[in-house]
Formats: sequence, structure tokens, C-alpha cells
Amino acid sequence: MTQKPAALVIGAGIAGIQAALDIADAGFPVYLVEREPSVGGRMAQLDKTFPTLDCSSCILTPKMVSVGQHPNIELLTYSEVVAVEGEAGAFHVTIKRKPRYVEEDLCRGCGLCAQECRMHGRVVDTFNQGLGKRAAIYVPFPQAVPLVYTVDPTACLYLTRGVCGKTFKCKDACPTGAINFEQKERFVEVDVAAIIVATGFDLMDPRTKPEFGYGVYPNVITGLEFERLSSASGPTGGKILINGKEPQDVVFIHCVGSRDPHTGVPYCSRICCMYTAKHAHLVRDKLPNARITVFYIDMRAFGKGYEEFYDRVKEERVIYRRGEPSEVYRRGDRLVVRAEDSLLGRAVEVEADLVVLATAVVPRVDTPAVAQLLGLSLSPDGFFQEAHPKYRPVETARPGVFLAGCCQGPKDIPDTVAQAKAAAASALVMLNLSQRHKDAK
Amino acid sequence: MEPRPRIGVYICHCGTNVAATVDVEAVTEFAATLPGVVVARHYTYMCSEPGQALIREDARALGLNRVVVASCSPRMHEPTFRAASQEGGVNPYQFEMANIREQCSWVHHDRHEATEKAKALVYAAVMKAIRLEPLEEREAPVTPAALVIGGGVAGMMAALDIAEAGFPVYLVEKSDHLGGRVAELNRTFPDLEPVSEWLPALVDQVQRHPNITVYLNSRVTNITGFVGNFEATVEGAKEPLKVGAIVIATGYDVFDPRRKPEFGYGIYPQVVTTLELEHRLAAGDLTVNGKTPKDVVFIKCVGSRDQQLGRPYCSRVCCMISAKQAQLVRQALPDARVTVFYMDVRTFGKRGEEFYDEARRAGVRYRRGNVSEIYRRGDRVVVRVEDTLLGRTIEHEADLVVLAVGMEPRPEAADIAALLKLPRSADGFFLEAHPKLRPVDTAVDGVFLAGCCQSPKDIPDTIAQAKAAAASALIPLMRGVVPMEAATAIVDPELCAGCGMCVEICPYGAPGLDPLWGVSRVNAVLCKGCGACAVTCPSKAIRLQHFTPDQILAQVEALVGW
Repeated sequence: MTQKPAALVIGAGIAGIQAALDIADAGFPVYLVEREPSVGGRMAQLDKTFPTLDCSSCILTPKMVSVGQHPNIELLTYSEVVAVEGEAGAFHVTIKRKPRYVEEDLCRGCGLCAQECRMHGRVVDTFNQGLGKRAAIYVPFPQAVPLVYTVDPTACLYLTRGVCGKTFKCKDACPTGAINFEQKERFVEVDVAAIIVATGFDLMDPRTKPEFGYGVYPNVITGLEFERLSSASGPTGGKILINGKEPQDVVFIHCVGSRDPHTGVPYCSRICCMYTAKHAHLVRDKLPNARITVFYIDMRAFGKGYEEFYDRVKEERVIYRRGEPSEVYRRGDRLVVRAEDSLLGRAVEVEADLVVLATAVVPRVDTPAVAQLLGLSLSPDGFFQEAHPKYRPVETARPGVFLAGCCQGPKDIPDTVAQAKAAAASALVMLNLSQRHKDAK
Repeated sequence: MEPRPRIGVYICHCGTNVAATVDVEAVTEFAATLPGVVVARHYTYMCSEPGQALIREDARALGLNRVVVASCSPRMHEPTFRAASQEGGVNPYQFEMANIREQCSWVHHDRHEATEKAKALVYAAVMKAIRLEPLEEREAPVTPAALVIGGGVAGMMAALDIAEAGFPVYLVEKSDHLGGRVAELNRTFPDLEPVSEWLPALVDQVQRHPNITVYLNSRVTNITGFVGNFEATVEGAKEPLKVGAIVIATGYDVFDPRRKPEFGYGIYPQVVTTLELEHRLAAGDLTVNGKTPKDVVFIKCVGSRDQQLGRPYCSRVCCMISAKQAQLVRQALPDARVTVFYMDVRTFGKRGEEFYDEARRAGVRYRRGNVSEIYRRGDRVVVRVEDTLLGRTIEHEADLVVLAVGMEPRPEAADIAALLKLPRSADGFFLEAHPKLRPVDTAVDGVFLAGCCQSPKDIPDTIAQAKAAAASALIPLMRGVVPMEAATAIVDPELCAGCGMCVEICPYGAPGLDPLWGVSRVNAVLCKGCGACAVTCPSKAIRLQHFTPDQILAQVEALVGW
């Protein structure tokens, strides 16, 4: 029996996970490559999801577990695709496996190493958007797949300074001898018939809009930071606390960088209206007496059940004000949001203890590099360009390479999942073709 | 004889989701005292790899033959823990889950009471687990073909992917041509590309595809069977079509603006719908009563976002259609004033916002306002609108008013829903299996949704979803087998009186009366394990495996006696 043709999926957020599962369930081998130490992507960072308010990790972890255990999926985490040669049906791909300095097959995920690490509680926790601290040896979150610790090469004292006390405390603590500072990067080569790109998105740094005071005032945060603040598994255990206090006045600002051709991006980020409505609901749920204001330009509640959710949130004493805030400034120990209310036709000032910025969805910084690696083109907004905006939304100009999720443009979870499955369908057609060629030979 | 139960009980903290409200250590200590329990442990995340390893390793080391996990809803992680049990050598049907999150920690605040309730739920689960019997999972072969209902863009794209992957597809279309609603369009947003550039080629590709059989002027009148083995009766097909998967792509209807009589549609010739303007733009004739309009008004959200009409949802495409048509009208009538009245501009798609900017740069005026009525003044009409930015009512004279009518479910959706026992959501569109993670699957295995029959969407989103439905359909077709429910109903022929009530009640057509013996028999391939027959049977002759009376009563007694 000949080996079946395989697919490569780059990126293991919900898009990559779904595409990999569909292809694997249909019986073809999949290499799922993820740059981070764990699969899960952005969705693993979210608290609840709109409009049904299911807990994000509760619905995601079953899928993460599935990709970790699927007999047809070979998971390559903490890895990056570095070269792609060949053509549709016969791609030759080189994957760099970065050193974790921990042997994957020995680590049991017990975490004793992190407790002993000299940097414990001192390294900025990127998974928690910097709201917490971790050790230099870490798993990004407790349900990580695979649950294997990774040494952060930018924070580990030994790796950055060449010395970490008299002995390696992490190595001494490890019951299975999994930690290995001799590990080097390795390269794996695989042959695949189809490639799905699911590399996700970044969020715009709101420091590019200095008038909102992000980075200056600690109580101005981003929507993603709010997700970690609100999450029961986040650094505050799900309590909305700013400097240890519950805010009384919370202001949300839509379109921070979106629909802003001059200082941001010209396009709509498609998800911010709804996640802000969800955030407003969560604040109402956790802080029944808080005053909640949302500044919007146009309320874009377009998906299934979204308008109904927006209607519900408006009835929960959330004040929607149409207007673009011009600045956020300090008055005493509080903040003031100054905005032009376009329905009242005059400037208003709203005091706040917490300001949440709905920052624009932007292409990943390395998108041009990935485009070059794979021979793809970018659309004017900087996301990957599909073959035809209407009738070929997941194909690219390069046969055999398909797009899934937000690397093609901003989209919400249902649209991401649908598009990921669509990319899987295109890949399955290619894999079937490749199989028939093989059988014919 | 069955070996004595050796049960492992695992209490999940779910981070703090359970542990913040439930004293997991107390529940674990309590579980260890229950009959048959060999080991009881608690862990931060049972669904994580080390959590599952606990089950696997205990099962092997301690010779467990039953596993109980107290954590979230079985809808989340039952498959995870069944697999972990099986890897440890435990029959997956001798696994039981106690839901101490959704049914306990998330809904209670008092730590003592929540802990007591968690203990009760664990106790009940252990009592059931003791009585669980091993069951065998089997597989059924799949008919390698698919049925696609609806020959619009969604149906065609789904059919093409399935056909290209090597499977025969039967495409059933009720009208006399393929192309659906898109065939009625002239140009599409945001590139103003003529539909004729690509749609005829797509139709041609479908019609010529060796794996696709198209039935025009045809409807599906009956469907029997189950995932992997459906039989569909289709008008025009000589025999019932045997297929393994079904894609529903039956599209949408447009809102009839006569239901908003204040807009005068059907009375004033100046008032048309976006679909009618599409035809006029294609024909190059925008005249009204023989005159070229000088003032054109677009009104959005006609039949959308309107709770009074029972249409609370957004139709998702009208903002972009209006932006497109307003630009095309500006091009056709450079001297005309073009105004769009809107509530919110929802141009969210790729290049959507840019397209809206282009419309405004092309001189289309956007005014935020709610239109209250349209009435005649001479040979023009007056649009009366509350301008919400100016904060006052204005009257706008126009020669042509275009109503951006929303989408609604087709009336025939009810027939298809009845045919396949498909649930629909409150808005009348077909209901997906999960709004986020299973957007094209349905409650019926092997039946998938594509396009606007699930909810309004634009062409790229429709095509993505159609291809997604194709991917879901290809999974059983390519695998060639589908797993069958092991927890099926069985009839005790000694007790069966042959009354036939089970035959009537079963939604899947699984029981049938044996003509020779006059007793009921359940076809295990069709049975989904819903239990409707078991509770209906007046002779108590039907037993649903995995939910037998002694198992359920043991669970109930445990809870009642708590």
C-alpha cells in the first residue's frame, strides 16, 4: 500500500485546527505547524464568545485535544516553515524545529521546573497580554497542547547571560530529566500535496493613536487585555480589577485604528462591534452598578443572532453613544473621554476608571515574509490575496496553496471556521487528485 | 460473569471554574468512600494531556473497568474521556460523566451547598457507572455519492468540490436553470465586476462535469435513511437516489415591501426594490414614467432590523448592495443627486469600507435617518425622514426611491425541515449544529448547510460556506464508513405485544413489525438511541442500552436519597 498524499497546515489557531481536523478526518495525513509552544492561537486567549457567550476555551479545548491525538495529524509546535519548493501535488517543505531546551517525550508537564526557576514571577506573560508574570520556563496556559514546557530564550538567565547560579534549578527540579540545554534547532523535511496558510492576525498597537493615552494611563487597555482580565483563568481570576479596584465607569471605544485611512487602516476590522458588545455585557454581569458607555461610528452587528445580541446589551443599561472620541486625559485620579457626540451635535466628556480600546485587526508583521516564502501576493490592505474576491475566496494565485481565517482578512469565529473548512475542501480535492496520480503510476 | 466494578473517579478543577465554588478535595475524599471506587483524584484540567494520562495510567495500573469524570458537560469532553478510558483498556461505554460545572459551580454561589451538590452528582454517576454494560461500536458503509438541494451559487460550489474529489453528485434545482439569485444580478460589489464574467462559466462547468447530474424543474419529495445511507425521492429521477451525504442550499427570499405600506411600494411607480433596480441597471433604463430621474434615494433596512415586523436581524448584504447601486446610478446619471438613508453603515467585508468611501467620493450622499413614510407630490415622491444627526425631520423629494429589501427564509424551508427533521432558528433559517464551531453541520448527521438558507450572507461568504459544507460531506464519503450509535434500543420479543406504537413514535424509522412473528424489531443501523420507543412501549418490552431502567433508577435514587 502506498502512503497517502499529505497536507501542510501553517498555523494552529482555530482556522488551522479546523482545516487540519477536516483533512485528517477524511483520511489524509496532515502536518500541522505552529510557531508558538502550543496550539490554540487567539481563541485560547478569549474569555466568552459572542453572541452565545459560551466560554471560548471550553469549546476550543476539545478540538485542541483532538489535533493532539488524531492518528492522521503530526503536530509540529514551536516550529516554523522555512522553505517551500515544488508545485501543487508535490511540494517539498522544510520546517525548523526551534529548541525548547526540554525533551518533548520526557516532559510530563508537572511544572516543578517553573516553580524553581530563578525568574519565576518575573517574566512578562505574553499569553496574558502582559497582565501577569511567569517564569523563564513555561507553558503558555494550563490546557496547552502539547503540555510540554519551553525555555524562553529571551528570559532564561543561562541562555541570555551564560550563567544561572551554581546549578540549574530547573534541571534539578525536573523528575524526568527532560531539560536539555544542549538542544539545537533541527530541520524536518516533508512532502505534501497541498498547503493551507492559517497564520492569523495581529492587533494594532494603540500607541499609534497617542491621544487615547494607552501606555501612559494604566487604566486604558485593549480589547484583548480585557479578555484576559475577564477570563476566569486569567491573572485576576476573572475579576475586573484596575489597580486592585473595581471600576465604576467603563468606556469602550470602537474603531481604534479601523476605518481610519489617515493614522490607522482604511478597512473595517469586522469583529470589534460584537466583541465590545460582549465586553459591555460581561462588565454588566460582573459589576451590576457600573456605568457603561460605548462610543461607536456605525454599529455593525451583521452575523446570525448578532443584532439580537446588540438589542439585548442595549437593554442592559449600556449607553451607546454615536461619536468618535478625540482624546482621553487624566483628571485627578480618573480619566475623561472627550468625544463629539454626532447625535447630540456637540462635544461631550465622560469620566471613566477604565477605558477599553477596540484596536484594529492587522496583518501579522511577518506576512510579507511568509508571502515571499510561499510565492503569494498581498492585497492592498496587507492581508493575503485570494485568487478571486468572489468565487475563489480561499484559493491563491499559486495552485495548491489555500487560505484560512484572518490571514486573508479580519473575520469572526464562525466565518473563520467556515473558511477553514472551505480551504480543507479545496485541499481534499487536491489530495484526491494527487492520490489518483499516484495510483495510476 | 461480569467482573466486580473497579471504578476510578476524577474531579476536575477546570482552572477555577469549578474549584472556586466547589471544594474539589472534599468531593474527592467523599468519592473515595463510594462502593466500587478504587481510586479518586482531582486535577486542574482533566482534559489536558496530563489529566488524560491520569485516567490511562490508573486504568492500566489498577485494572479499572469503570471511569467517572466530574467536570463539564458531556457535550464538551465526553469523547475526550471516552478515548482516554479506551486507551487505558476500559470499554468507552463504561465511562460516565458528572456535570459539576454547568449544572453546579456555574449556577451556585454558596461553596458549602455547591460542594454538597457536586458530591451528590458524583454519587449518582458512580451508582450508574456500577451498572454500565460494555457496548461495541460498529461502523456502517457509506454510499459514495451526495445530494445537493438548490442550484444557486452555494449549491453549485458545494457540488463542484464534492464532484472534483471524485464522487457522483445529484444537484436538484426547482427552477428551469442553474444560477439562483446571483443570476438575477448585474454587477457585484466591491469590484463592480459583471456577473456574466464568471457565473455562466461556473454553470457550464457544473453542467458538463462528468460526476454531476443536474435535475432541473425538480424537487426532493421524500428522504429516508441516515448518514452514509440516505435515499431521496427526486422528481425526474426514475429511482430513488442513494447518497451518503446531503447539502442543503435552498437560498433565501426577499422581503415583500408591501408589508411596509407607508413606503408606497406597489402604489407609486417611483418606488422599486434593489432587485428591480438591478434589472433596470442591466437593461440600462432608469427612467420613471418616461423621465430620467434627477433625484434618487436609497432606503436601507427595509424588512431588516425591524422587531415590529418580526425581522430583528440584519440582512448583511444590503449596505453593500446600496453602495454598489448608488455608484452605478451615479455613473449612469451623472447629473442626478443620489442619497442613501441609513441607520448604520455595515460595510465590513474585505474591501467593503474602501468601497463605501469610494461611493461617498463619487458623490453619493449618506444621511443617517429613519424613513417614516413616502407620499406623492405632483409627479415626484416625498421621502419623510427623521435625520438623526440633524435631530429634525426633513422632506426629501425624489424621482426614484430604491428600497434595500432584506432577506428572509423561503417558505419551502418548512417542507425541507419537515422532510429531514431539521431544526430552524428563531429567525426561520436553518439551525447549524453549533453557531461557532460547527457552522455548516446540522443536528442531523450527514446533512449540511450552505449559503443563505442558514442566514443572510454575501457571495464570498456563501461560497466559503458552500465549500465548508462540501468538506463536511467529503469526510464520510472519503472515509467510506460512518461510526454507528452503540447505545441502541433492543426489543424483548417475549414481552412485545406487537402494538406498533414504537413504529409510530420513532423519528428515524428504526423499529418495524416482523410480519412473521408479529413483534417489533429495531434496526440498529437506523437507531439513534433517543429512547422515544422505550418510554412509549406499554409492555416495557424495549430497553435502551446505556440508559436502562436500572441504570437510570440507580442514578435517580442516589440523588433523591441525598
